[in-house]
Parts: sequence; C-alpha cells; structure tokens
Amino acid sequence: MTFEAKTSGSDDLKAIISAISTLVEEATFVATAEGITFRGMDPSHVALIDISWPNSAFEKYECDSDIKFGVRIDEFSKLIKRADKKDSIEISISEQNMLLVTVGKNKKYKMRLIESSATDTPLPKIPYDSKIILSSSRFDKILGDVQVVSDYLTIHTSDSKADFSGKGDSGEVVIELEKNTDEIGEISSKEDSTGTYSLEYLNPVVKAVGANAGQITCEFSSAKPIRIEFKVANIGRIHFYLAPRVES
Amino acid sequence: MSTAKDIRRAILEKWHENLSKYGNLFSSNSVSGSSPPSIFVGSYNYPKVFVGPMVPPIHGDTSFLDTPEKWEGKSLEEIINFRLNLIRGVKKVSINQTDGRYIENLQEITMSSKPIDSDLQFIKNTSANISLNGESAPFGPIGEIKSAKFYNTSAIKSIEKVFYDKDFNAKDAVLHLYNSGIDISKIQKCFSIGMLGEKRKLVPTKWSITATDDIISKSLTDKILNFSLIDSYKVFTYAHLGNYFSVVLFPHRWIYQIIEAWYSNDIIGFGSDIEDARGINYAPVTAGAYFAAKLGVTEYLLKNNIQSGVIIFREIRPEYAIPVGVWQVREGIRSAMKQIPIITDTLDNALTLASNKTSISKSEWISKCNIMKLIHQKTIADFF
Repeated sequence: MTFEAKTSGSDDLKAIISAISTLVEEATFVATAEGITFRGMDPSHVALIDISWPNSAFEKYECDSDIKFGVRIDEFSKLIKRADKKDSIEISISEQNMLLVTVGKNKKYKMRLIESSATDTPLPKIPYDSKIILSSSRFDKILGDVQVVSDYLTIHTSDSKADFSGKGDSGEVVIELEKNTDEIGEISSKEDSTGTYSLEYLNPVVKAVGANAGQITCEFSSAKPIRIEFKVANIGRIHFYLAPRVES
Repeated sequence: MSTAKDIRRAILEKWHENLSKYGNLFSSNSVSGSSPPSIFVGSYNYPKVFVGPMVPPIHGDTSFLDTPEKWEGKSLEEIINFRLNLIRGVKKVSINQTDGRYIENLQEITMSSKPIDSDLQFIKNTSANISLNGESAPFGPIGEIKSAKFYNTSAIKSIEKVFYDKDFNAKDAVLHLYNSGIDISKIQKCFSIGMLGEKRKLVPTKWSITATDDIISKSLTDKILNFSLIDSYKVFTYAHLGNYFSVVLFPHRWIYQIIEAWYSNDIIGFGSDIEDARGINYAPVTAGAYFAAKLGVTEYLLKNNIQSGVIIFREIRPEYAIPVGVWQVREGIRSAMKQIPIITDTLDNALTLASNKTSISKSEWISKCNIMKLIHQKTIADFF
C-alpha cells in the first residue's frame, strides 16, 4: 500500500481542518487514487460537511488502494498550525498505523490514528431554487451585521435581488444586496426563496475557511437546507450544508 | 399542609427522643458497629479534606443505611434517620494522599460486598448536637479519629479488578463497574476514595456523585445517538419526598432539558439547563440534579433501544424540608420511567399532561423551556 499526499502550501489544509473542527471532534478521511474526501455531520445532525480534494490539487499525490484514516481533529489541527504559510505538508501512513506528517523540509511528526467510526452519510437531496455568489469577506461581514440583533440569518431572494435579515429581542436588520458590484458575483432565483439558518453554525465555518475561499456560492430553497461552497486550492471544494429553522 | 419548618422541627424532636434513649451511643469517645460500608470525603478545607468511615452504633446488616438504591417508598423522616445513625469519623488528609494505611483501609471497606465490623476511637467525645438546615444533606455526629479498626472484608471482584489495574483511566473504570452491575452509590464511593484511574486522588463526596453520573450518562447518550427516534409523545410522572417529576419524551434527536421549580418564601424560583447531541459545555445551574436525572432517563432509552428528545419538570415542594442528596433525583427519575406512560400525539398535549399535577401552570413551565425554540431547527437527516 502506498499513500502519500503533499501540498504546496499549508493554507488549504489549515482551512479544511479548521472547517471540520467546527462540527466534529473526530474525522475519518478517505483516500483513493482520485484524491482525499471527508464527509461528516455534527452530533446534532444540523450541519454536514462534504469535502472533495482531488489529486490534481496536490503538488504530489500517490494512492494505490483505497484507505480510511481517522484522526482527532484537535490533535491534527495543533500539528498543522506549526506550519508556516509557505511550508508544504506531506502526509502518509506508517506500517505501525501512525500518521506521518512532514511539515516544511525538516519537521517530521508522527500522530496516532484513531479507529474510524465513519458510517456512510448520504447527502440531502434538494433542488436548489436560488443561488448567490459573493465574496466570503462580504458574507462574513453580513453575518456580523445580523448577529448584532439576531441568532439567525434569513435569506430571501426574488428574481435577481437578495436580502439578508435578522430579528431578535432587541430589534431587527435588513441588508439588501444588488447584483453587479465587485463583491456580488451572481444572484439568481428560479422561484422566490426564503430560508432561515442558525448563526451558531454559519459563523464558525465562514471564519474557519476565512479569506482563503475567495468567492463562495450559496444555494438554497425555501425551508430547505442551504449549501455553501467554498473553493479550496482552485479545484478542491468544501460543501457546507446547514438545515433550516422553520416555524411550525 | 405542614411547612418546611414544621417538618424540620418534627424530625429534630424525634431525634432528641432517640437521644434520650440511646444518647450515650451518640456522644461517646468510641463507636463500635457495622459500617454499611460507607465512607465520606468532605469538601471543607479542600485540598486538605476530612475523610473517614461512617459507622452506626449497630452491628449486623446495616447496608440499607447508605444504599439509596434500596430506599424506594421510604419517607423523608425514615431516610433522615438512616443518615443520622451514621457517625462520621474524620481525619484530615491531603487529596493526593491515596496510599498509607488509613486510606488503604477505607479503600478496602469500600470494596466490600458486606457491612464491615468497625471500632473507632475518637480524640474527644462526639457531639450529638446535630442541626438540620435547608442546605446540606444531614448526617450524624462527627468525631476526629484517634484509631480505627476494621474486620473481615470481602472484596467485590469487579471493584478489585479496576482498583489493582492502574491502566484503566477513571472514566473506563467507572463504566466497567457500571456495566458489571455495581450500584451507582457504590461506584461513587470508589471514585471518591481514590480507587479509580491512573492518577488517583481523593474526591469530595458531593463532586464524585456528579462526576459519576456525568461519566455514565454521557456514555449512555453516545450509544443512544445511534438509535432510531421514538414514534410518539410519552409522559411519565412520579412523586416522592416532596418532589414531583414529569418526564416528556418526544420524537427528536437527543436533546435534553431539565427545569426545576422551588418555593422560597412563597415565591417560585426556577432553574434550568439544556444540552443537545453535542453535550453540555458549562456547569449547569441545576448542578448534580442535571446529571442524576439524565442518567435515569438515558438508562430507559438505552434499555428500550430508542432515541428521543427529553423535557423534565421537577417541582420541589415545601414538604422537601431537608435535602437528602442528589440520589433522590436519580431514583425519582428511575421510578418515573418504570411507570406506565401516557401516550399522546403532540408535544403540546404532552406538556399539558406534564404540567397537570404540578402547582405551576403549563405556560409558566413553557416560558422556561428553551426546547420550544430549538425544535424549530430541522436536521440534515430530515432531507435525506
């Protein structure tokens, strides 16, 4: 069995691990000839992360049989944080079932693997009616603006317009978005859509992936989960699914 | 209805009546009797705490004196009399000192399957003047130990195993004992007297009770998360010792809230805590009751292979004049879960049923119930 994956810098891996850490304490990655994937839900099953990191996104990638490896995210994260921005990170698995992590040229870590408990998690089946593409820094600002008055973000789209709003005990806020500014890539909707989502889940993941993501794509339908796509290393991606809040 | 004060007075009068008959037994420089077995680690003066055995001036099968698991149906007065019979010997010991003859003796009696004949000599006469207040659980007279002798112990095998095997961490040791069928009150004593884990130390009794309930109920919750959801709304109720419990189970991924209400000078006070599948990440205001109740209800869910959301109402009535310890919440919930539930088809109906026999209105309970907000949150699994 050969498995070796080497990144050219450390930012993408940091962003991925950081995003996963907002949902779970333990993660099982799957490596195949095509690349590395991860899928997992938080314990409450409110959010799901689905990561696909194709082999072409790596500086060097080799995997001749499918393997699964489980890590404690806090342990892995500490170690990855020792890398400078430009440091490459190389991971492989030793015969003693340890994860070997080479950071930069000379830091060689060995980390214990944990028994992988992953079950096959399906993806929610949703026809998305609305789509907003905007910069992640703008989205982060919007979340901050809404959080001042509310624990939840409501997104509403109608034709090519979108607004973000929130309501709480102290008051409410509406932020209107207009297409064709630098920060807004696209607003489109097949049908008017309104969805409400918890900032408790949105904030950490947007902060975790951070400026790394550049443009992000939000897709949703009324009272259905939202899917946010963050691009990683141009061709890899993180899909973050968040279940809605509904009035019942 | 008698007030808390009347009840406290009645209990004290009975105690003094006992004293006039057997006073010499409770105010003496020695006690000879069978420890249930029982040990107590105080929290006062932490980390140099007062540690010792509890011994009643009675020989024979005294095990019921300190085994709450056997107290179902007993009255507050009876339970307090159990407690007051126990004379507590103490020595000041640093929490890090888990070896040495004194502590090793206490560990041996804690392991025992039977009451232990014990002779304690005190430096001074114990004082039989005990006082009861609304705060701490009562026990009998206290004496500082000059010498202590214990006879013939016979160890429970599963406890012996985790005691001598220092590779078990404290958590695994607690779970091993629980899965071997050892009573919670026994596991808690082992935990308290520094018998479990890799780095051992003495743990004040009141903290060890919470720690034991927390460890076990968390492990049960982890298992329950894999079960399918309950398909109806169930309401269980039970009352004992001036406490009224309503437990509502409803179809939802694990989520748990306990709301406590109590009377203080005719004003109702409330406290509540909540967790979802991520667990609780702060110290609950309902303290030990939070984990004790969680244990009682998770045992039920595990036994029935189901998962549910849980709302518990606990009304503490004035008749609960003297707190007797968190065990009564654990056993109260366990008893509630043995009753035949009322089954209904909406959460709203279930909450009506849960409020019915309490003296607090449904709307008041619901105003404290954060779960009502949280159930608007859908899960990803709803869209698979």
